[in-house]
Amino acid sequence: MDQETWKLVLDYLSAKEQGKARELADLEERLQDWLRKDPQHQQDLDQALRLWEQTAILPDSEEWKESFDHIQISLQSEKPRQNKAFLIWSAAAAVIAIMAMFVVLNKSRQTALPVDQITWITKTSNPGKITNILLPDSTEIWLNAGSSISFPDNIRQASFRTVKLNGEAFFKVKRDPKHPFIVQSLNIQTRVLGTSFNIRAWKNSSPEVTVLTGKVAVSRDSAGVQSKAIHLVPNQKGICDLGSGLLHLENIEDARLAIGWTQGKMTFDQTPITTVFEVIERRYGVKIVTDQAFKACKLTAKFDNVSINEVLKTIQMTLDIRYTINKQTIYIKGGKCN
Amino acid sequence: MGENNTAGFNEDDVRTLDDKAFEDLYRRMYPTLKKYAIYLVKDIEDAQLILNDVFIAIWKNKILLINEKAYLFRAVKNGANNYHKISRSNFQHLEDDEVQEVIDVSADPFQTYMYKDRARMLYHLIDQMPERRRLIFYMYRIEGFSYKEIAALLDISVRTVEDHLVKGFQFLQERVLKNEAEFR
Repeated sequence: MDQETWKLVLDYLSAKEQGKARELADLEERLQDWLRKDPQHQQDLDQALRLWEQTAILPDSEEWKESFDHIQISLQSEKPRQNKAFLIWSAAAAVIAIMAMFVVLNKSRQTALPVDQITWITKTSNPGKITNILLPDSTEIWLNAGSSISFPDNIRQASFRTVKLNGEAFFKVKRDPKHPFIVQSLNIQTRVLGTSFNIRAWKNSSPEVTVLTGKVAVSRDSAGVQSKAIHLVPNQKGICDLGSGLLHLENIEDARLAIGWTQGKMTFDQTPITTVFEVIERRYGVKIVTDQAFKACKLTAKFDNVSINEVLKTIQMTLDIRYTINKQTIYIKGGKCN
Repeated sequence: MGENNTAGFNEDDVRTLDDKAFEDLYRRMYPTLKKYAIYLVKDIEDAQLILNDVFIAIWKNKILLINEKAYLFRAVKNGANNYHKISRSNFQHLEDDEVQEVIDVSADPFQTYMYKDRARMLYHLIDQMPERRRLIFYMYRIEGFSYKEIAALLDISVRTVEDHLVKGFQFLQERVLKNEAEFR
């Protein structure tokens, strides 16, 4: 519907709300003229009127609560008291209120609020820490260090159990065929009924979904439009190539390697050294500083749940680097890669 | 009627504000009023402070106003004016209509559509509008202000208000039609 028509519709609706009979008649006539021009117009108008109706009520949200709590805290120290300022204030307020009564048209608008409400809850694992989360539907989540996950507080009632993931997590989804479980992460969407799987979706790298049990559907999500899904079974992983955006399937030997991180393990297989450093930073909550690019340098190694010193010693031997540790910062120099 | 009623108005004009009524007022007014405060001062934290100062003053006076809406919006505007006087030196006025015209394309219709509640879906879309347009939408549809009242509160012309609403509704209609086509 073009702007001119919307303008007309809005004028018509407010004239109607305010009971301006004369204007209303005129506007109605213009609207009728417009309707006669094209049979499609009636449909457009009906939808416009529905939009008007449906936007009258703001869905409930819990956003106000947090800031309201701040007020409560600052008020607790001060008991309300009546004093001179109170009288001046209340007089002024009353005058404004009474004046406003004359100025503002008396609109009795219903502010009924819908009963249901969605608030998103976000859990974050700081670097160096893995968090174990149990959702209200009994789904278990291991959230890797440096990752965060959001889920709606009504996840038990919603028709889809939707969560949003940044980073990496291992899911053991409680089976519930009537309420599919959906994970949104980077540009992929993973949809399951009840299985266990790992999603790795770090920024600037190709997201991967690895299945341990059950069956998982992965699709590419571009601005809400889902590509055709690929279906994964245990010991398969789906990768969405960062460059091409294409989704493909890979068979792997042992899917359990993908969740080694839940036990503090790290596995690298021809992994670019810059990625290795990122993993170490998250795993141990440290910062790695280096003035070298380490291009074309890859590492294949397996670490159990060991100390950072042990990890660095191994890398030192493999790549011939030098390192110094200063509190949470690790400085790396040298190395035969350069 | 006691002699102490020096304020010169009938007690029927004001009701005492109890905890519940205060919380209620806050909850009802927060969504639009907070956006209004942000619009005026362009800083979320300062907006929150101004908003809460207004409510704290109301609470201390234990007064429930007859026309709370008009009062609250005016009070927030005054609060923002005082704020500008104090921090004018480092205040930079953003032309939000130019800055925030980009609509978040990543907010996906699929998820939007999953919101069973129609109003929730619509407000999900409304929240993607540029800052000023969204505020105008809230003031118009939720608070029930007229074009003229909105224009006065935002210091813009009535035509601009109308223009934003028309474009806002157009955007909603387009998005809803698109969704319905996709999920038919």
